Amino acid sequence: MRTSGPNTLDPVQGSTQYDNRACSMVYQTLLQYRYLKRPVELVPLLLAEMPEVSDGGRRYRFRLRNDVYFHDHPCFPSGKGRKLVADDVFYSFKRLADNGNLPKAWWLLKETIVGFDEYRAEQNEVEEFDYDAPVEGMKRINDYEFEILLKQPFYRFTYVLAMFQTAVVPREAVEYYGPRFSRHPVGTGAFVFDRWDIGSQITYRRNPNYWEEYYPEDPGLNKDGSEPYPGYQEDKEMGFYVDAGKRLPLVDRVDLEFFVQAQPKWLKFRKKEVDYTIVPAENFEEAYIKRTVRLKQEFADEGVRSHAEPLLDMIYMGFNMEDPVFGGYDEKRKWLRQAIALAVDWQEWNETFYNGLNIIYDGPIPPGLEGHPQDHSLPQAYRGPDLQRARQLLEKAGYPNGEGLPKLEFYVSRGERNPEVSEMTTRNLARIGVRLDVRLVDFSTLMDAVRNKRAPAFSFAWGSDYPDAENNLQLFYGPNRSPSSNNFNYDRPEYNVLYEQARVMPPSPERTKLYEQMRDMVVEDVPVIGSMARTRYYLIHDRLRNFKPTEDFFNWPKYLNVKQP
Amino acid sequence: MWAFVFRRVIYNIPVFLAIVFMVMWILSYRDPVPAMMGKNASEEEIQSKRVELGLDKPLAERYVTRLKEIVLLDFSQELWTMPGLTVGELLRQAVPISLALTLPALFLTTVISVCIGLISAYARGRWLDRSLVFAAVLGMSISFLVYIIFGQYLGSYQLGRLVNRPIFAIYGYEPGIQNWAYYMLLPVMISVIVSMGYNTRFYRAVMVEETTQDYITTAWSKGATTSKIMFVHMLRNAMIPIITRVMITLPLLVTGSILLERYFGIPGMGEALLNAINNNDFPVIEIFSSIFAGLFICSIILTDVLYAVFDPRVRLQ
Amino acid sequence: MSKLQRILNSREARKLFRDKIAVVALVLIAGYLLIALLLMCGVLPPKAYADVVGPSNSRGLFLSENAEKRYEIARTAMLGKVKRALQREDVEVALDEVHLGWLRVAEKPPEELKSIVEESLELQRQLKAFERLDDDPDAKALLTAFEQKTNQLVAPLSGADYFMHNAALLLGTDAQGRSILFRALYSIKVAIQIGVVTALVCVLIGALLGSAAGYFGGWVDYVVVWLYTTFSSIPNLVLLVIIAYAFTTSGSDAKDTLLPVYIAFCATFWIGTCRVVRGETLKLKQMEYVQAAKTAGFGSFRVLFRHILPNTSHLMLINFSLLLIGAIKSEVILSYLGLGVKGQPSWGLMIRDAGNNGDVMTGFFWQIGTATAFMFVLVLAFNILSDALQDAFDPKHL
Repeated sequence: MRTSGPNTLDPVQGSTQYDNRACSMVYQTLLQYRYLKRPVELVPLLLAEMPEVSDGGRRYRFRLRNDVYFHDHPCFPSGKGRKLVADDVFYSFKRLADNGNLPKAWWLLKETIVGFDEYRAEQNEVEEFDYDAPVEGMKRINDYEFEILLKQPFYRFTYVLAMFQTAVVPREAVEYYGPRFSRHPVGTGAFVFDRWDIGSQITYRRNPNYWEEYYPEDPGLNKDGSEPYPGYQEDKEMGFYVDAGKRLPLVDRVDLEFFVQAQPKWLKFRKKEVDYTIVPAENFEEAYIKRTVRLKQEFADEGVRSHAEPLLDMIYMGFNMEDPVFGGYDEKRKWLRQAIALAVDWQEWNETFYNGLNIIYDGPIPPGLEGHPQDHSLPQAYRGPDLQRARQLLEKAGYPNGEGLPKLEFYVSRGERNPEVSEMTTRNLARIGVRLDVRLVDFSTLMDAVRNKRAPAFSFAWGSDYPDAENNLQLFYGPNRSPSSNNFNYDRPEYNVLYEQARVMPPSPERTKLYEQMRDMVVEDVPVIGSMARTRYYLIHDRLRNFKPTEDFFNWPKYLNVKQP
Repeated sequence: MWAFVFRRVIYNIPVFLAIVFMVMWILSYRDPVPAMMGKNASEEEIQSKRVELGLDKPLAERYVTRLKEIVLLDFSQELWTMPGLTVGELLRQAVPISLALTLPALFLTTVISVCIGLISAYARGRWLDRSLVFAAVLGMSISFLVYIIFGQYLGSYQLGRLVNRPIFAIYGYEPGIQNWAYYMLLPVMISVIVSMGYNTRFYRAVMVEETTQDYITTAWSKGATTSKIMFVHMLRNAMIPIITRVMITLPLLVTGSILLERYFGIPGMGEALLNAINNNDFPVIEIFSSIFAGLFICSIILTDVLYAVFDPRVRLQ
Repeated sequence: MSKLQRILNSREARKLFRDKIAVVALVLIAGYLLIALLLMCGVLPPKAYADVVGPSNSRGLFLSENAEKRYEIARTAMLGKVKRALQREDVEVALDEVHLGWLRVAEKPPEELKSIVEESLELQRQLKAFERLDDDPDAKALLTAFEQKTNQLVAPLSGADYFMHNAALLLGTDAQGRSILFRALYSIKVAIQIGVVTALVCVLIGALLGSAAGYFGGWVDYVVVWLYTTFSSIPNLVLLVIIAYAFTTSGSDAKDTLLPVYIAFCATFWIGTCRVVRGETLKLKQMEYVQAAKTAGFGSFRVLFRHILPNTSHLMLINFSLLLIGAIKSEVILSYLGLGVKGQPSWGLMIRDAGNNGDVMTGFFWQIGTATAFMFVLVLAFNILSDALQDAFDPKHL
């Protein structure tokens, strides 16, 4: 993968996709996504069954599997891995609350579990964080059964239980290693951690004591001959069900290799030194015929197969709504932002930097989720380029041809091809007379500028944390303003009310309606110009079996197999 | 001599203090915390992190703490971006890797360019000399980056395709002497080619200077053979500039080569340092800079001492 | 005899001019300087180097492209843009907005354009059915027809526009479809600017501090030596990167986007000159004429500026050209790290883009080749010149 590697192997400290990948090898969560199934579906992992929900969605009752052992490790007496119990789950949740662990994912459980926020505030005050102190909403019934009480019936809680940050860790290992725990993971997963060469690779080996988990069974066609899920037939043809029912994991060793440069990664794939790769946009035309988006014959002859995976993704340009010139809710400011939105040429962006493969869509909800507009477009959206209308709106806003308008400071992270993208944006906006002052900064400065509301405009990409549009809509919820996740500082009372209603609702047509209302508000006010969702093209060598790429979860290496030569 | 060394050390203490301060002072203009905390952190979490890292304290106080750690050779500070890894561990991991790249490169560069310098000086003014000098100038006029991009393309990709098996790694690193050639030889060669231009010219000039000296004329008149004059008389006397140059370059070796390490995926010090700068990992930058400065100062002093050893005319005062 | 004539007639100058290669180098440098000056006067409109002028990654010298590429070029040039413009209500205005570099939409009534677009799209559909375009004669014929059809959308060029359009495509285009030739040309200005400013400032600082340290000795010397030891004891790269970072972040007035580069280079590059000039001053101080001037009661500053500094001018000249090379070459590295030039083209950015975009891997050498060639000639010329200068003024210099 294209990164200098994960920062940590401690789930509570993790935040990036790379942390996720590296942690998911070793650690396990209560729930997981069913492999191969699309759209994604949650199934139990460490649980014996799906939690029982009662009390109008506020009371969750869990039953753990009773055959799960931690990896063998000197931190346990006698060196043998101990059995997983309910207290381990509570302990792992509580670690998210302990500021001493430098957690990055507290927001997942913030204001969710009864008594947990109070517990957190209390324990962070005192000298020693007491993991044994009780939390009202966490009730242990016996070693394998427990209950969790929520403050409100937050629907997203079940997704949180599948996120790697809530994975279960053994207390013994944490205490054995102290702060070095983040480099010496001990979990329950199908693989044990072997070695980490900073900046180049992590090696994992098969967990010899892995509990009895099996490759998903072939569901077979429905009685009426229809597919049990879309894409089933194809999976069947690809041989994804050949290993059905086999005990996991299927391979003895997994190496995660990290690349900062696209070029070496691509070369290494071509030399068959890595089993799969995401096709760098730069090399797309080398592997595919762009005209038909089909894999070239010479690649197919080598046994390479291709997979296109759409992402829950939102590439956008955002405004700070509190900016005195470009922010604000009155007509004139709105016109100004609308004008700027109309000058941006998404088509050019897509064609030049993504080979025209991305999906351009209106509003903040990525394709594949409820509330995403049909055909990706909304008639009322301000999607450019429409220079004539942009100029008119700009004039109405009081800046004919951009006269009198100060330079728009535009913050962009300097990584990858962003410098080139910002050159294109500057060019686009110059056509209506809006001048950009591009600030190419490193990522930390960008974050800093956005959080301190210093950046009037900025460019970002948001990858959904879980497959629910709520994750994108919370970006515009007033109380989440900077320094929280609402980077736009968008705050409209009507919107906030709608959001509060929607977040406690299970999926339903009514909720989708609320999502659409919120989406349309954002489209009209233009706190954000966008958006674009990427599609990842994977190339996979023949050797690698059972690999159905996904970016929603990362515990799939346990299902992988390799073809014996 | 010890008095001289002692005096030079004392003399360089303010230099060292200033370096640590300068690095910390420039860094103090950046706020690393928000980025570290990720996209979902609250203001309160950021503040507590700041306190945790000690960034709420004034610069002077942090300076004193850091100095104390450095003087006591205490490198057990954890990396900010990778909790659990100490700076000491990082250095122990990364510096040897960098050295595996830079030491052979320096050695080869010096040996080859001294030889070429000798040949060139010997053939001074003739076409061989001229073409060597011109080749050096040509080589110097191309950007390092271009060498790397094409070196990687030709050396590991095209060559690998030509013989249908990998000769040089494109990317990555594995420890162990048996893997050295596969991962390191190509970067080393690129590095040698890049630095060859400057070095050849330098050593040629040194040798030319030596050929005009009296002792060479004397040796000639005594009927010594050409090879004896070149390799025994001249080389020995040219040792001082050679050693000076090598000594001055030595501390630079621990910094590795950012560009080469980046392009070839070698997890050395250059890469670690650039990552630290990108991610605002202050402990790494500050401590590495001070160690480097220490080495640099030592090498200057050592050079002076070596002068005296190799050239009895030089006296340490 | 004017001063200039005296300089030109000096022994060193005559020696320099006898070296034919050095004269060629001088001429080349003069050429580059002239181009830089012209560019500073705004000879090349920003449109030429900043705007998209053609298809992405097209080859230079009007070499023919392979079939897939020809298809891509025909598809992306005008077709999509005209199609979108025709869908808008204000068709006339929208059509007028469409342009690609110097190319504009043919002046035909919208209905006619519409039918051309539709016919082109039909051809495009047919082309998509082929697995390969380059070996099937039917496909080849269709492709040619497709190209001709889409070409009908473009207004023919004449005069200056024609010249500029072809000049822009002479050495091909980069991934964004911008002219490689014009970008490389414009980079001359950037390179000369960075080189001259850095070298000038560094030589000035270095010479002043160095001569002062050498001449006055004592605490002045101590402070200067301390200063340059300090600067040189920080890893060069750390210093460069940290300074560049610090100034790109905090500089509120980013109007002159080269400022961080200047500062980063000046902070690291002055040391060499300072050291050399200090050494030379120490030597000159012992000279009889300096001693004489001193005993004659001239003030220290007068001695320093009238007798010592002018006699180090050859060192300054040599250092100037060495620093210039250093700055131009370092710009590439800084730009690669994303800390260099911004908002305008430079060779460093071009080389970086070529590396990032996988140009080399896919065998597209036009961008990296052009940037390297332009830079190579300039740096080579300066290298030769500084060699010749050294030979002329300071034959014993190591």
